[in-house]
Amino acid sequence: MNTISALFSILIFPAGLALILVGMLYEWVDRKLVARLQNRIGPRWFQPFADMLKLFAKEQISPGSANPLLFFGLPIMALSGALTAALYVPLMGRPVVHSFPGDLVVTIYLLSLLTMSMGVAGWNTSSRFSLIGATRGLTQMFAYEAPFLLALLGPALAAGSWQISEINAYSANHWMILTQPVGFVVALIGLMGKLELPPFDAPEAETEIVAGALTDYSGRGLAIFNMGKSVELVVGLTLMASFYLGGVDGILVFLIKTVALLLVMAVFQSLLTRLRIDQTVGIWWRFGAIMGLAQILIMILWRGWL
Amino acid sequence: MNTEQLLQQAETLLVAWNKESLRPDPTRLDAVITADDLRAATQAIHDANWGYLSAITGLDLGPEAGQMEALYHFCNGSAILTLRVRQSREAKAVVPSIAEIIPPASFFERELQEMLGFTISGLNNNNRLFLPDDWPEEVYPMRTDFKTAQAAPVPGRLADELPEEGVVGGNTFVVPIGPQHPALKEPGHFEFTVDGEIVTGARMRLGYAHRGIEKAAESRNWSQNLYLFERVCGICSHTHALAYSMGVEKLAQVEVPPRAQAIRELVAGLERVHSHLLWLGVAAHEAGFDTLFMYSWRDRETVMSLLEQITGNRVNYSANVLGGVKCEIGPEQAKAVKEGLNYLESRIRHYLEVVTTDVMFLNRTRGIGTISFDEAVKFGLLGPTARASGLVRDVRVEAPYGAYLRFPVSAVTETNGDLEARFVVRLKELLVSCFTMRTVVDNLPEGPLSVRVPRKIPAGEAISRLEAPRGELFYYLKSNGGENPARIHVRTPSLCNWVSVLEKAVGRQLADVPMLIAGMDPCFSCNDRMVTVARSGDRQNWSWEQLRQHGIEYYSR
Repeated sequence: MNTISALFSILIFPAGLALILVGMLYEWVDRKLVARLQNRIGPRWFQPFADMLKLFAKEQISPGSANPLLFFGLPIMALSGALTAALYVPLMGRPVVHSFPGDLVVTIYLLSLLTMSMGVAGWNTSSRFSLIGATRGLTQMFAYEAPFLLALLGPALAAGSWQISEINAYSANHWMILTQPVGFVVALIGLMGKLELPPFDAPEAETEIVAGALTDYSGRGLAIFNMGKSVELVVGLTLMASFYLGGVDGILVFLIKTVALLLVMAVFQSLLTRLRIDQTVGIWWRFGAIMGLAQILIMILWRGWL
Repeated sequence: MNTEQLLQQAETLLVAWNKESLRPDPTRLDAVITADDLRAATQAIHDANWGYLSAITGLDLGPEAGQMEALYHFCNGSAILTLRVRQSREAKAVVPSIAEIIPPASFFERELQEMLGFTISGLNNNNRLFLPDDWPEEVYPMRTDFKTAQAAPVPGRLADELPEEGVVGGNTFVVPIGPQHPALKEPGHFEFTVDGEIVTGARMRLGYAHRGIEKAAESRNWSQNLYLFERVCGICSHTHALAYSMGVEKLAQVEVPPRAQAIRELVAGLERVHSHLLWLGVAAHEAGFDTLFMYSWRDRETVMSLLEQITGNRVNYSANVLGGVKCEIGPEQAKAVKEGLNYLESRIRHYLEVVTTDVMFLNRTRGIGTISFDEAVKFGLLGPTARASGLVRDVRVEAPYGAYLRFPVSAVTETNGDLEARFVVRLKELLVSCFTMRTVVDNLPEGPLSVRVPRKIPAGEAISRLEAPRGELFYYLKSNGGENPARIHVRTPSLCNWVSVLEKAVGRQLADVPMLIAGMDPCFSCNDRMVTVARSGDRQNWSWEQLRQHGIEYYSR
């Protein structure tokens, strides 16, 4: 019985299938919000599903120069990384599926798997656009990863635990966006960097390098990568809401908080001009990392006083 | 100095080489010189800083005459000096290259060489550069005795294939952009050699949508050609039709009624607004600022509707007829135009604020692709690209034509010469245009809309220049007194501005390249009226090594 319920949690709800569907819905919300902010109509609610179905129905063309094992394996790795990360976060306000002390670090690294898979995928297909896209993606990862981690460590230090479920429980009584506003900003922007949303979309800047690392991907491979991104969007938003916005302990609370975050992200996406890769790196190390460090220092001092 | 004094000064400059002076009309001086003297004469004009080289027209005088003529048009204010060089048609028709003195001349000289079979001595690169690779040898399409059958593709020669550079070195490789690429919705091809993110070499090729319009014009009558030339460009269609009509009217010695001239200026003004707003959106998209793109294109719809309301068409307005216009501005249209202009003006002011204050956007425009005043002169830039560097190149101001005598405009210039300056110049220019258009609508002269232009145009030649949204548009028309033109030559502003991209891309980041391309507002369809291929370091053939060296030096500065 226990096994069946665990399998259900992992494969159907809240992780697994339900997560993928929710991810696509969130992708639609993001697209719709950005469209409305840009004075466009935007897609209808089923557009991401239709895109996915279409991609799955299409032939996947594998370039001759690519290693087929990597070419087909990397999208799956990216998606499974994001799906595994979902097990440790309180998705849809449900208790976490699996938890152990220190799972915060594991989750953050599982979330990086997507970027790394895309980097390797871009290098593997050896198209010029992919190669530049992959280089940019990985360069960018080195820029935002450390500040993002630092920004998530702030709440962890406050809660005195590196276990996501415990931080979530702690933040139910502490809105850490109020006590750690700097960390919140860094984490939110870091999440946008992770998801390669504008202004951090240099790795897939269509006006320079077509579709970046995924230029040669089509059909199923592309669909799975896109799915991975949608899942990562939801997981990232959940993480943010549970750390900074007073935790998530119910499906309604979850929806309100994550969609509110998504709205803020959509505003940033439509307001900001794409940064060049050197500007991205500069901003992260000059401001992001220092702000994150300052936040951590303050937290340590504060914990020391108590 | 007025036009007459300018022309006299030019005549004095050329006195040592001038074989014969002609004055076809009060603003023009034709000086007949020999090919051997061309370089010396050009040097003298260049050293005296007399105007700029606007175009080089090649003429084939036919097998009976056995001669060809190359016309070097220099413009200074409204004065036009033409150096006429005649060469035998049968021999190689050797003309020395003047590209060492005036770098942008190499574009024009290559056209001369490929289209008419002149031999340009001193032009180091004699590879097939203008016509498709499978075009047969020694067949020159602009010669009068050219037959289409001669142009059969040579089998075994791959068309439009550039030598594959592939991976150049350890970290260097070529990024191709176009002719099918999301950055470029138009058929151009660029190859940027990049070392990591830094561009170390640039070259380009055009001519993917060549339509042979100049040749086609010779087999159509004068009024059919009006509609043909309107289709040279899909964005500035009115200016092409206008330049052509003005040339024909000059040849026929017909005076266009003032009301028609005013309406022509009005349509040209609206077209400028539509063209610049379109450009603003595209440029913002290249920078990754899609919100500005969406908003500016939404507002562009206002001006498109105005054009449709006035002329009945959104793209090829077809407002002109030879001798006037065919659309009337009634009280209803006048009201719509004024309302539309009020709205547009407020929006343009807003965009001006955005492009000068948005920090993220300025990151991508300020100090990037800077062209100094001297470089602008040297590269022979035109239009807003030149004006952003402080160089006043605006035919409306320098040599007012048509209604611009009655409703003058002022030239907008900036001094920084970077991408930001090009945004500011174009937007401020629109404010000036809006103001002028309002004046035109309020003070429309009364009178007929057109006068009759004869079917047969008297023999002669005419030059008409006007300011298109992208810069000076140059038309040369020649009539033999028949129903069809003998030769029409078009030089579009984009052709003169390419150098700004190729020169400025080297040493910059790849991410800046789309912005640089967009910064000059290139118009591919204008260029592809003729087949043009230009390569990097067009200031006479730089090797890859030299280009790379230039890039390294530029970057380390």
